[in-house]
Amino acid sequence: MWKKIYEWLDERLGLNAMYTNLLDRPEPRGNWWNTLGSASLFLFVLQGLTGIFLTVYYTPSPDHAYDSITYIMEGVAFGWLIRGIHHWGATLMVVVVFIHMLRVFVTASFKYPRELTWLIGIGLFLTTLGMGFTGYLLPWNQRAFWATTVGTQIAGTAPLVGEFILKALRGGPDLSALTLQRFFSGHIWMLPAALAGLIGVHLYLIIRHGESYYPNKED
Amino acid sequence: MNNETKKKLNERYERELNRGERFWPDTIFKDVIVSIGIFTLLIILATFVGVSPEPKADPSDTSYIPRPEWYFLFLFKFLALYGQIPLLGKIEWIATVLVPGIAIGVLTLLPFIEKNPNRYYGKRVLPISIMAIMVVGIVLLTLLSDVPTVSADGSTLLGTLQAISGLVIPGLAMVLLFLMSFVFKTTTRLMVWTTVLAAVSMILISGTVLALAPAPEVAETEVPTTLVDQIVAGQDLYSVHCTECHGDDGSVAVIEGVEGLEGEKITPINSRDVLYTITDSAMSEVIAYGRPNAGMTPFGKAYGGELSKSEIDYMIVFMRYMWDDRFEAPKLKPLFPALAEGEVPSYNVHIQPIVKRYCVSCHREGKTNNNYLMTSYEEILTTGDNVANNIIAGDENSYLLQVIQEHPIMNPEKPDEELIRVMPLNRTLKPNIVDVFIRWIMNGMPQTAEEAATLSTTPTPAVTPTP
Ligand code: HEC
Ligand code: HEC
Ligand code: HEM
Repeated sequence: MWKKIYEWLDERLGLNAMYTNLLDRPEPRGNWWNTLGSASLFLFVLQGLTGIFLTVYYTPSPDHAYDSITYIMEGVAFGWLIRGIHHWGATLMVVVVFIHMLRVFVTASFKYPRELTWLIGIGLFLTTLGMGFTGYLLPWNQRAFWATTVGTQIAGTAPLVGEFILKALRGGPDLSALTLQRFFSGHIWMLPAALAGLIGVHLYLIIRHGESYYPNKED
Repeated sequence: MNNETKKKLNERYERELNRGERFWPDTIFKDVIVSIGIFTLLIILATFVGVSPEPKADPSDTSYIPRPEWYFLFLFKFLALYGQIPLLGKIEWIATVLVPGIAIGVLTLLPFIEKNPNRYYGKRVLPISIMAIMVVGIVLLTLLSDVPTVSADGSTLLGTLQAISGLVIPGLAMVLLFLMSFVFKTTTRLMVWTTVLAAVSMILISGTVLALAPAPEVAETEVPTTLVDQIVAGQDLYSVHCTECHGDDGSVAVIEGVEGLEGEKITPINSRDVLYTITDSAMSEVIAYGRPNAGMTPFGKAYGGELSKSEIDYMIVFMRYMWDDRFEAPKLKPLFPALAEGEVPSYNVHIQPIVKRYCVSCHREGKTNNNYLMTSYEEILTTGDNVANNIIAGDENSYLLQVIQEHPIMNPEKPDEELIRVMPLNRTLKPNIVDVFIRWIMNGMPQTAEEAATLSTTPTPAVTPTP
């Protein structure tokens, strides 16, 4: 019975081909440091899932953002857990992605033929930081408000384009409802979409070239 | 890179594959273990550390010291240290845009900068040394982020030390490493030692700074998150700021005893007229902006008052749940635990909440009160024009006890003039509160509950379980 279903699906989806191409691949002898990339991926998925739950109650307006977060923490069953995971997951993701980058740097895995993987990786790193920056404002508490005020101010010190960047980030001269709306949209749509796309290419390249091996004196 | 090298590299990779593992299950097995570990860690963090509550954003409170997410702290510190450099420090964008821009640019273009095919770390001493110094620097700047560059006494010693360990040493070390690598062509051993020396001295100097730095004040602001906590916080704030005009329960219709507003007729703010017609956000505006024409001063920080947005919100929560008949009040704890026979009250458990609710509105900085401040244990015992007579341990003629029992103190020089009127003005305290004050002063004003317990004559009876 199961076999039949499997065969039917395989005929249409090509499960066997997927298995041989994606899973049953040879890899150089592994190393625990090489798990950090997939750990980043895991954290990205986890942040996505917990984030989706949070948007069920979160309201991106200066009047209600703070109260909606309080409600998630106090009123929603396991709301504190979901928010707690999302909060600490963000911190951990930055750490894990950074260490992943360091390990790629130390083993010189960015060299031929993996240069493009590295370039995409830098995009991933910056986008991850962007997620942290935009997400920080959303609870609309004192810390969030003033950190973002100063953060955007710093972006505004750039010569020539600073003024424009500042206004584009804030949606006006000051932090306002518009800023919150912008950061929200960036945090739940634009940056995750960019991140997902980049991760797709990153993974494709990794499968295409295989993981690098741990270098020794010969290299 | 020519095709020859590429071919060699690919052949080398094939060899490694042949003596390697399978992606499924070998590689995935390790990945899954690490992911499960991370998930467990997150659940532990979320459960036992949690997310610390913060007050609501208040755009008018410019005194708030901004603190970015921790992984940007090193950049903040870098900016602060850079700003100390004479002349150059004034050109902000060098530190905010140029330096980070170069760092990210180099990092991005790394595969095209470091083009040789060498992968073994022994053959990549320069890049690894530079990265090591950067990472040590980032970690140290993050740790130093709470240490001010100028100490309270105006000394810039700590600032200078921080600049040395956070900017000068890493900067010099990097320049030196480049020179060693390209100009002097020294041995790699020397470069490794240079890096180690730089890193160790950075760590030692930063450690000294951290040891010397004054312990940062942990301003643990309790943020009331549950409804009950918010109501209590609101009531305390209301008692301090509003009772003199609106009374304990908001029922005052004619203001008495307030300079300039004597006899002013007002709508009781606990009435439906006010509660039903003014929405929460309008109420918040009224309190923040006051009613300057009618005589109510502004309370919001934005208009020169002293209350934050969150604090005003708590007061509104209090007003709604206690006065507005459309809201059902949750069960609140009593202001202080009732006293048993022979039990002595303490400042921490009994007096403080009472004073906060009934006395501090007048007895704090900036009010007429014979300079008698009551916001802390020390103040209550050591301030006031009549400090010698206000509180005398074991003396029932202490002025404080007299005035709260409706006996004004007469001026000894002009016997028909009141020196101290009945306290609190315009109101009588309930007998159980007066009793707390009497027992406290008669037993020598203990501060903590433990001190009070040793003074109690009969041991506190065990709490009888409520049926
Ligand atoms: C210095 C005296 C004074 C103090 C202190 C004071 N008020 Fe008032 N308040 C007034 C006066 C006078 C009015 C005008 C009443 C009227 O017009 O009926 C008023 C009006 C109000 C109103 C609106 C009533 C209406 O009909 O529009 C509210 C709500 C209010 N006060 C709340 C507060 C709160 C909360 C506090 C404490 C933070 C406070 N007040 C402190 C004097 C005061
Ligand atoms: C509505 C304002 C108000 C409140 C509330 C109030 N006081 Fe006073 N208090 C005063 C003023 C004003 C004076 C100065 C004497 C006077 O004008 O009679 C004073 C003076 C005193 C003094 C004399 C201080 C000295 O050294 O001369 C004592 C003691 C005192 N108050 C105790 C209390 C206690 C205890 C409470 C709380 C239960 C309280 N007061 C609440 C307004 C207030
Ligand atoms: C959201 C962030 C990221 C995700 C989800 C991710 C995911 C992965 C995964 C699953 C791997 C294979 C396993 C491993 O080698 O660890 C990998 C490898 C790699 N990553 Fe990332 N990565 C991220 C960020 C980065 C960053 C910031 C860089 C560097 C700038 C980078 C550069 C690379 C390179 C060059 C490889 C190939 C390593 C090799 O073959 O040995 N990645 N990444």
